[in-house]
Amino acid sequence: MRPEHAFIVGKREYLTRLKSKGFWIATALLPVFMAAMILGPALAASKTKSEQRLAIVDATGAGLGQQLAAALTERVPGTRGEGGEVRFEAQLVPPGPDPAALRSELDRRVRAKEFGAWVWLTPEGLRDNRFEYHAESLSNVVTQEALRSRISKVVSLWRLRAAGLDAAKIAELTRTVELSTVRISATGSRAEQGIGGFMLAFGLCFTLYMVILIYGQQVMQGVIEEKSSRVIEVIAAAVRPTELMAGKLVGICLVALTQLAIWVAAALVLTTPAILGALLTLPPGLTLPAVPGAVIAHLFVLFLLGFFLYSTLYAMIGASFNSVQEAQQFAGVAVVFIVPPLLLVMPILNDPDSPLAVSMSLFPFFTPLVMMLRIAAKMPSAWQIVAAYSLCLLTIAGMIWLCARVYRVGILMYGKKPTLQEIWRWVRYS
Amino acid sequence: MTASLELRNVEKRYGDFVAVAGLSLAVPAGVIFGLLGPNGAGKTTTLRMIMDILAPDSGEILLFGRRRQAGDLQRMGYLPEERGLYRKMTVIDQLLFLAEIHGLKRRQALPVIEGWLARVELADWGRKKVEELSKGMQQKVQLIGTVLHEPDILILDEPFAGLDPINQGLFKELLLEYRKQGKTILFSTHGMEQAEKLCDHIGLISHGRLVLSGDLREIKRQASGNSYRLVAPTTAGDLERMRALPEVEVAMPSDVRDPLEAVDPLDASVRLLLKPGASTSELLRQLLQFLEVREFRSEEPDLEDIFIKAVRDAA
Repeated sequence: MRPEHAFIVGKREYLTRLKSKGFWIATALLPVFMAAMILGPALAASKTKSEQRLAIVDATGAGLGQQLAAALTERVPGTRGEGGEVRFEAQLVPPGPDPAALRSELDRRVRAKEFGAWVWLTPEGLRDNRFEYHAESLSNVVTQEALRSRISKVVSLWRLRAAGLDAAKIAELTRTVELSTVRISATGSRAEQGIGGFMLAFGLCFTLYMVILIYGQQVMQGVIEEKSSRVIEVIAAAVRPTELMAGKLVGICLVALTQLAIWVAAALVLTTPAILGALLTLPPGLTLPAVPGAVIAHLFVLFLLGFFLYSTLYAMIGASFNSVQEAQQFAGVAVVFIVPPLLLVMPILNDPDSPLAVSMSLFPFFTPLVMMLRIAAKMPSAWQIVAAYSLCLLTIAGMIWLCARVYRVGILMYGKKPTLQEIWRWVRYS
Repeated sequence: MTASLELRNVEKRYGDFVAVAGLSLAVPAGVIFGLLGPNGAGKTTTLRMIMDILAPDSGEILLFGRRRQAGDLQRMGYLPEERGLYRKMTVIDQLLFLAEIHGLKRRQALPVIEGWLARVELADWGRKKVEELSKGMQQKVQLIGTVLHEPDILILDEPFAGLDPINQGLFKELLLEYRKQGKTILFSTHGMEQAEKLCDHIGLISHGRLVLSGDLREIKRQASGNSYRLVAPTTAGDLERMRALPEVEVAMPSDVRDPLEAVDPLDASVRLLLKPGASTSELLRQLLQFLEVREFRSEEPDLEDIFIKAVRDAA
């Protein structure tokens, strides 16, 4: 390994990428895309209004049906859940003498789209805390949850009144409570809104995910490009495969670091009070979460760990195939490793010290994203950080060793697609 | 004459397949050496081992009369059979990169590159991306990239394959110029004609083994005296009968090669290589029994005939 050769290769990778328009377009547009990815679903959910036309059969004889119908049509402030607002249109149906006939009649009317669902309130249900809900589709969990909470409220009110309490008194006593959240950290406590901290942690994790994935893929495409344009052997005559690989990885890594640094710098400048105040007025009560320097430092360290874990994997895949199309199916393997933390963002952020969060953060391929979430939410204990980072470094050393062997043989292999056994043989031979 | 490149008993296997089997070869300094052999003979593997892209399983490779040293590769230029350029880079950036990995500094390289671009009439194309160039222009850029660091040894794998006639001419001119400067050129080819026109020395390999090597004129002189040209209306059956004669080593139809001799379709021309000590009068007597011979004369042997004979002798 001659560092000066790796340096020349790295310089080429860095400069050609930085000179390309694509880099600058991505630098400008990715934050917009990420904001849309993070805020979009939440925004869409909160703006979504679901409607359900509901038939209520009240067999309790206690007037519960009417009270439920009223509670369902009434819009209570502060009842918007995560799934957004659900509007009901309630219609009371008298129980009648033949429950079986009425049930089939109601089913028929649901199928005829006269209404979406029906509930049946019975004295037994009142006793057992369970009522029947019939609908064509049961995937409307948000609607069901809204209905369940309204019925619960109506039933508890009814029980309180039955216990002799006055309606006004009840309303006075059962007001809901909100939490004022204060975040405790090493640098002192400060009032924050939970949603701001959540967005920050998720945003950092998602940034890491995007950058690792995008630049990992760039490594793969770069290796394949050198193979498919047949320039590789011209280069291989003057530069050893390990130097070529090292130069390529470091060069592309620096491109990614440049991009990350631009984003972090832009975010820091834009969120200084003076500039932010000039750009927009925040809704009253909303404060931006504080981002300690340590979190940013860990962002860069985790990026480096993640990049070298995944880019070596991508380089191996690239060296084994002749075209991006061939490699793409194997590139899915990398995604399988990187995505699980994203699916578990909620439980990890809800309890960053849970056994799930801790064990996932110690698995090297999950470490970058999970540690980012945990560090942004609450700084983990030092031994966990040291252990996770050390395991990552060991894995990276192993990956570099493996990658160098596959790369050395793979870059000179043209023609047919190798099998996994053949790739394993390359590792053993070299 | 000292050998500037020497292979000693070099062997390379891929699993059970022996690509190069105990190959020993010496390339004297200042010559154009042609490494000849059919496809799959082990030429590319041999050249890759010389360039240290592949490591031999056993044997050794000497450069400039000694074991390989760090920095040797920068005194060598290599044009692989599978070659290409970075499509998205400009011509000058591309050549600067190739110069840098061969140990040149950018400041030294730039005037050299500009000189070369002017020589091959690409001076106006330096700032263009490689993908904007025609195939012929890309070939020129590739050639410049191989030689711009002024290597002492040039290793070329099938250099003429796929080149347009202008670039073939350019390349030949370059090789002769290099020889004049005392540099060493080793190139592989399966086209015997190219080799015959350009080479001072040749090495013939077949199935990873050297079957013949040495000074081309010497090899030809040794083989001459046994080579004859026969002109007669010939059928495929006649050719078979000729090959069955005890005096005949090789019989090859050659009318495709020389258009002047193919004027009369009835007069096919056949090259005959006789076994050592064979009697020409006896051969002619036998040929006359089934052929209407128009012409029978002694001539200098073709490299192809020599090659076929050498492979047959080795088997």
